[in-house]
Amino acid sequence: MSPQPIIAASNLTKFYGDFKALDSVSFGVGKGWIYGYLGPNGAGKTTTIRTMLGLLRPDQGEVQIDGVNPSKDPVHALQSVGYAPELPTLQTFFTGEQLMDFTGKMFGLAERARKERTKQLIDLVGLKEWGDKKIGKYSKGMVQRLSVALALVNDPLVLIMDEPTIGMDPEATAHFRNLFTTLSEQGKTVFISSHLLDEVQRICTHVGVINKGRMVFTGPMTQVLETFTQQWVIEAELEKVTKTIISALKKLDYVEDVKVEGNKLRIELKEKKDLRGEISSEIFKRKGVLLSLNLHKITLEDAYLRALKGGQ
Amino acid sequence: MNTLQRITVIVGYEWRRAIAKKSVLTLMILAIVFQTLIMVVFSRFAAGTMFLTDEDKPFMWIYSVLQGQGLFIPLIAIIIAGGSMSEEYEHGTADIMLSKPVTRVEYMSGKFLGGFSLLAMVEALPTVVGVVLAVWFFGPQNGLQYVPFLFLAIVYSSLIFFCLSFTFSEVLRRSTLAILIAFAILIASSIISQLLASLYMMTGEYLYFHLSRGIPTWGASYLPSLLIKELMTLPSTVFFASDPLISFEATKRGVSETILVREALQQAAIIVVVYAIIFILIAVYRLRKSDVTKKTA
Repeated sequence: MSPQPIIAASNLTKFYGDFKALDSVSFGVGKGWIYGYLGPNGAGKTTTIRTMLGLLRPDQGEVQIDGVNPSKDPVHALQSVGYAPELPTLQTFFTGEQLMDFTGKMFGLAERARKERTKQLIDLVGLKEWGDKKIGKYSKGMVQRLSVALALVNDPLVLIMDEPTIGMDPEATAHFRNLFTTLSEQGKTVFISSHLLDEVQRICTHVGVINKGRMVFTGPMTQVLETFTQQWVIEAELEKVTKTIISALKKLDYVEDVKVEGNKLRIELKEKKDLRGEISSEIFKRKGVLLSLNLHKITLEDAYLRALKGGQ
Repeated sequence: MNTLQRITVIVGYEWRRAIAKKSVLTLMILAIVFQTLIMVVFSRFAAGTMFLTDEDKPFMWIYSVLQGQGLFIPLIAIIIAGGSMSEEYEHGTADIMLSKPVTRVEYMSGKFLGGFSLLAMVEALPTVVGVVLAVWFFGPQNGLQYVPFLFLAIVYSSLIFFCLSFTFSEVLRRSTLAILIAFAILIASSIISQLLASLYMMTGEYLYFHLSRGIPTWGASYLPSLLIKELMTLPSTVFFASDPLISFEATKRGVSETILVREALQQAAIIVVVYAIIFILIAVYRLRKSDVTKKTA
C-alpha cells in the first residue's frame, strides 16, 4: 500500500431509517491502483460510492479523497475526481458535445481546453458521429459511453465508476477495460464497482468485497485469491464413473473429497499442487477411460463467493 | 474558479434547462394572447362608455401591463421554480451535478438565480407588449417613464411565488407535487385574503385586516398597483377606482388615501421579502442537511 491512500474510507456507517446500509466500512485505495469493489445487490456498493462523493452524509466515519473530505469541502475534494454513475440519466436537452462542454465549465476549464477535451473524448468513446445529437436520442450503451467520457473531462486523478460497462457491447467493454488499464499506468486511480467478476479479475490490482454493509475483504488481487483458496480442484470427465474409481480416489492421501456430477468428477486436493499425473494413473489402474482432465485453480468468482460466505 | 464563477455556470445551465421546458413557452404565449384579447375587448366594447372614459385611455398601459401579471406570471414563476430542484432529483441528474466541485449552497444559488432571472426576462415581455398594446389601441400614454419601476415591482412581487414553489421543489423533491401545492396556496390565499378583507369591512374588526395582509399573496398581488398609485395620480374614474379596502380604511381612520397607500406599499414590500427569506432558508436547510436522493422518476 502507498504511504498515503488517495481514497481513504474509515469506519463509514450509514443508516436509511432503521436499515444499516454501511457498517463501519474502512478501506484505502493507493495511487495508480485499479480497485474493484464487489458485492451482491444491496450490499452497499453504491451507498459507499455516493458517500465518497459527498452525496450522502455518513452517520459515522468519513471519506477523504487526497486528504480532503468531500462532504465538508467538495470544491477541493472533487476537483480531481471523475464519476460515472450506474445507469446514468444525462440531461437530454444537451447534445453530447454541449454536455461535455458544460461539465468542463464546472471544472473551470478554459474554452480552448474544453473544446480539445470534448473532441478528444468524444472520439475516444466512439461517439464522433453522435456528438452533435441530442442525448435524448442516444441508446443506453451510448449514454454509458458518454458518461465515461464526462468522467474524464477534467483529466481526473481519481476515477470512480459504478458499473461502468453495463449496457455496453463486448467490443466497447474490451475497449474500456483497456482504457482503465492505460489510465492506471498513467498513475491515475480507478475505483470500479462491478458485478462482472471476470472483468474485475482481468484489470484490477486490488479488490474490496462488501456484503450486507460490511467490508468482508480488502487487499491486493493476488491476496484475495490466496486468502480464499483452500484447495485446488481437478475436474475429470470419464466415459463411465464407477464406485471403484471414486473409492480409490477418496483413499488417496492428497485428495480431500470427490464429488460426482454425471460422468464428471470434481476432485478437491489437499495441496496446491498439479497432481493430474497421479490422478490419471489412479483412474487408469481402475480401468477408467479419461475424456478430459483439467486443473482448476481458484478464480475471483470462487474467492468472492467464499468471501461472502465467510462474511455471513 | 471562485464561488461567483461556479454560480454563474449553474445560472447558465438553469436557463437552458428551463427554456427547454415547453410549458414555460406555452404559458408565455398564452399570457400574450390573453393580454391582447383583453385590450381588443376593451377597445371595441368598453371604450367611450362610463366604464372606460377618454380620461382613462392615457393610463391604459398600467392596466394592460398589470393584467398580464394577474395569473400567468405567478403560474410561470411556480412552474419554473417548481421543477428547478425537484426535476434534478427525479431524473437523477442531481447526482451528476453535485458530484462536481461545487458546494450545495452554490448549486442552489445558481439554480435560484438562474430560474429567477429567467422569470424576470419572461416578465419583461408582457410588460413591453402591454405598453405597445395600450399605445396601439388607446393612443399616446402618460407616465411611461414609470414602466421600468412597474416592471421591477412585478419582478419583486413574483419573488414570493417563485420562492414558495422553489422551497416545495427542494423539500418534496417531486415537481408535480411542488407545482400543485404552490398553485393551491396561491389560489387559496388569494380567496382567503379577499374573504378576510370583506370580513374586516363588514365587522370593522382589525384582526381580519391584519390577517388579510399577512397572507403571502397579498403583498405580491398589490405591490405593483400600490407603487403606481404612489408614483402617479390616476384619474378618479370607475375604471381606476380606489381599492375598496383602502377607501374603507381611510374613512374609518380619517386619514388620506395617499398615506394609506404608502403604508400599504411598505407593508407589501416587507411581506414579500420576509416570506421569500423564510422560504429560502427552509430550502437551504433541507439541501444542506439531507442526502442527495437518487433518481425517483
